[in-house]
Amino acid sequence: MSAAHPLRLPLATAWRIARRDLSARFKGLRLLLVCLFLGVGALAAIGTLTRAIERELETRGQAILGGDVQVSVWQRSLSDAELAALGRLGTVSTGTRTQAMVSNGDAVAPVELKAIDASWPLYGRLTLKDGRAVGQPPEGAAWIGEGVAARLGVDKGGTIALGALRLKVAGVIADEPDRLGEGMGFAPPVIVRERVPFDAGLIQPGAMYRSKVRVAFADQREAAPVVDDLRRQFPTAGFELRTRDRASPGTERFIDRLGEFLTLVGLAALTIAGIGIGGGVSSWLDSKRGSIAALKVLGATSGDIARITLLQVASVALVGTAAGLVAGVLVTPLLTNALSGLLPVPKGFPVEPLALLRAALYGLLVAFVFTAVPLARARAFPAMALLRARVSPLGSEWKRAAWPVVIGLTLIGATAMISAAQPMVTATFLGGSAALLLLLGLLGWGIRGTVARLPRPANPLLRTAMANLHRPGAQTGALVTALGFGLSAFVLLAAISSSLDANISARVPQKAPDYFVLDVPKDRITQFGETVQQFAPGAEVRTVPALRGAVLAYGTPGRMTRLADLKQLPEGLGPLRGERGLTYADEVPEGNTLVEGKWWPKNYAGPPLVSIDADIATAAGLKVGDTLAVSVLGVERDVTISSLRRIDWATMGFNYFLVFSPNALREAPHNFAATVDVKNGAPPPTLLRQLAKAFPSSSVIETGPMLRQARDLLSQMSLAILAAASVAVLAGIAVLLGAIAAARAARTYDSVILRVLGASRRQLLLVQLGEYALLALVLALVSLALGTGVAWLVIVQMFEFDWLPDWIEVFAVLGAGLTLVLGFAMAASLPVLRTRPSQALREL
Amino acid sequence: MTSPPQISPAPIPPAAVEARGLILTLGTVQILKGIDLTVAQGETLALLGPSGSGKSSLMAVLTGLERAEGGSLIVAGQDFTTLDEDGLALARRGRIGVVLQAFHLLPTMTALENVATPLELMGAKDAWARAAQELEAVGLGHRLDHYPAQLSGGEQQRVAIARALAPRPALVFADEPTGNLDATTGAGIVDLLFARRAEAGATLIIITHDEHLATRCERVVTLGDGRIVSDTAAK
Repeated sequence: MSAAHPLRLPLATAWRIARRDLSARFKGLRLLLVCLFLGVGALAAIGTLTRAIERELETRGQAILGGDVQVSVWQRSLSDAELAALGRLGTVSTGTRTQAMVSNGDAVAPVELKAIDASWPLYGRLTLKDGRAVGQPPEGAAWIGEGVAARLGVDKGGTIALGALRLKVAGVIADEPDRLGEGMGFAPPVIVRERVPFDAGLIQPGAMYRSKVRVAFADQREAAPVVDDLRRQFPTAGFELRTRDRASPGTERFIDRLGEFLTLVGLAALTIAGIGIGGGVSSWLDSKRGSIAALKVLGATSGDIARITLLQVASVALVGTAAGLVAGVLVTPLLTNALSGLLPVPKGFPVEPLALLRAALYGLLVAFVFTAVPLARARAFPAMALLRARVSPLGSEWKRAAWPVVIGLTLIGATAMISAAQPMVTATFLGGSAALLLLLGLLGWGIRGTVARLPRPANPLLRTAMANLHRPGAQTGALVTALGFGLSAFVLLAAISSSLDANISARVPQKAPDYFVLDVPKDRITQFGETVQQFAPGAEVRTVPALRGAVLAYGTPGRMTRLADLKQLPEGLGPLRGERGLTYADEVPEGNTLVEGKWWPKNYAGPPLVSIDADIATAAGLKVGDTLAVSVLGVERDVTISSLRRIDWATMGFNYFLVFSPNALREAPHNFAATVDVKNGAPPPTLLRQLAKAFPSSSVIETGPMLRQARDLLSQMSLAILAAASVAVLAGIAVLLGAIAAARAARTYDSVILRVLGASRRQLLLVQLGEYALLALVLALVSLALGTGVAWLVIVQMFEFDWLPDWIEVFAVLGAGLTLVLGFAMAASLPVLRTRPSQALREL
Repeated sequence: MTSPPQISPAPIPPAAVEARGLILTLGTVQILKGIDLTVAQGETLALLGPSGSGKSSLMAVLTGLERAEGGSLIVAGQDFTTLDEDGLALARRGRIGVVLQAFHLLPTMTALENVATPLELMGAKDAWARAAQELEAVGLGHRLDHYPAQLSGGEQQRVAIARALAPRPALVFADEPTGNLDATTGAGIVDLLFARRAEAGATLIIITHDEHLATRCERVVTLGDGRIVSDTAAK
């Protein structure tokens, strides 16, 4: 026999042997399959959902915005010059937005009044409940939102009163194309012709309304240069400009952040799964030692063994990944249905190749990283092991695995960082995960070393329990890592979820007034207070002057920074974006504390002054004596900063970033805003009715629905976080079970021998209990510290919420986790204990 | 680890095994203390000795499962002292067949797949047909698709013999081939082993402590405390 043999096993032959073995021994790789399925599934669903929403925002940008570009200004119409400039770009649609109240007999409803011209909508169509696709309503008529119809008890054909006008209800709105671009609504919409708010007496000088002008470009052109050009042409106009590619910037930011957070949660699940994958593949290979050695006796080289085992692991990993991707796509419609009222979501089964590719890449890289070490060990497993004792551990070949692990980790880090919206948060997460793994690894090593050095107890069972933790081939390291990660995940989730719940309760202000009222004429303030007292005696009424304006520039006189020149607003200066509410006051507003500078005296008549929020001042590097350039009603004025204030945002009342000295703004046409707080119980229905009657040009915002909306939003966020995190928990449980099952193999031999020597089942159970109780006790303390630490980072640093965990819930969940660990460890020993020793011996 | 060296087909020299001064130490215990042994091609040889005498360790070294740290060893024309672990695996491939006391079949593969595997490792195109023939020859033609767990101990050892002999090796090692079997089954297995060896014309080295079995070989080498204490022709 002397034919030349192939030095390297051909791939086809390797695959044939691999497949043959796999079909009989697939069970051992179930943990790999389950972990990858869960991790990749979660990432695929999160990625698909996020990307699908972003795509909707991109592709439906024109419809969502209602044009290619939108200019909005507060409390004024656009000038002829401004309109002419827009007219040169294409078709223009003008209109206004204001809060208002409509009534039908005694029923009154606060609404968002949207007045539009004949060109509206420039993109998309308004769909009515009766199926008609329409534009502007007919003369003397209105389209009303479903909420209005329900509240006023009117339907198509009925009439509603708006200020001094009566309008016919021509249809009930089913789908408004630009609803999302209009921003978060506090009341259902009523759509009317452009002149209606003026004719109804709602829009007068100083009224709190907003003009919106949209343009559909006549030609193919980029929107960004148009915006730059408009800013250059009208630098003091106070324009808030939006383009079709950023039709709803708030939604985009929200989706970016939430998407990234959920991706990190998914990645955490995959990391936990990775530990399970490593453990699962290790014990699978351990069970294959005989086969590996036998193949080597038959002439298989280390390379052949590596190829065969790699093919087996890779094929199962591919199946797990593919199943995860399919599950991710299938589960997305459930998520889109849940979010359909809140965000633009696609219908059907969205497939986002890039998101799926990323999920698959993460899954395969994690599998690669965590299986590299066990596969390298299997490669070096000696043929001679067939003739040696079974306790001899797999060879240590970590050096061979070092490069694949380093490359895999680098690729995971790079993929996460490339797609990160908040690189610092992502980097912290990745660093934290690595540190956590290292810490748990060290802890496992420490426990092993410490137990090995302890004096050997006289009791043989206790001695066995301790020996199980440190003997050659002991699974202590894997158990500590898996249990540590799993229990930490339990604690983390309990702390996050209870903190979020507590925040939702605490953030919905206890002191919220019942109504915000806009546009109370400044010469009727006293009468407004009297009306409220007449119908709601004892109610607390606060009124403040209300104007809108935009900060154009800030800094030291002569060295001012113009906001229009900044490509990106510095961190913390978000409140300076666009037009904001402004007010003036003689005294420091309630709930505010002066932290620097002085408040102006009563009847101050010197140069105009402003008091600003201390946080903004810090973010912008502003100090007392610096200057702000502010545009109010299109007129630019410079004001000097005279003081900095700390604002208590928890009180939901009038809180303004900028408060001016009265002489700075008093001459600008404006109205007042008011809060009405009916001290005991709900406001009487007559109050809203009487206010609508006595102040037809004012509009009321009810805080109840607003708070409900905020509460719903927070609940949905918390639900999304918990849904993604529950995948991490599932992966954690799978890992726990896998680690315990892997450790069981080593315990079986000892248990059988001890039973042959006369140990009772109870004693053997106590050995197991003792061993796991020791581990669980140490890990409970570690997990408590790690889990709450990370939860604190997420709640306080990432979401900027208060740290309000429910400790009873946290301890209960940790207790449940420990019970699960101990319960499963005990349950895993039962089959061995139930078997007769003679039978068990034969099966060894 | 160095890359596996190229194994060139070489004419089988007159001696199947040429060992000089083999030394093996495991931990702090010296197991083999200078073994000199020459086995001619086609010879049948029994390695006798009490437990702990070093029989199995010598077989492990001669089959390349273990590397001696002293002495020289040429097996089937290959200098084993110059080969690393992978080189030794390649040297075994197709040239050396091993039958072990505990059978060590691949539990996840059928009898046919077990026997086909070494042929596939060699790159044989007709691996399946040859494996089936070999199983027929050991009387297991009706058990091709059975897994090891579905076979009796004697049947498992027949599969192991078929697996060892299927590649037509120049050398066959059998370590206590009847150790796990009853006397009748064991005798049948030994008959089969000798018959198949004769057909293949291979050198056979049996490790045993059964003197009766040893007498069936042409030559008996007895080990004691890691040394050869006698080397005689069988009675």
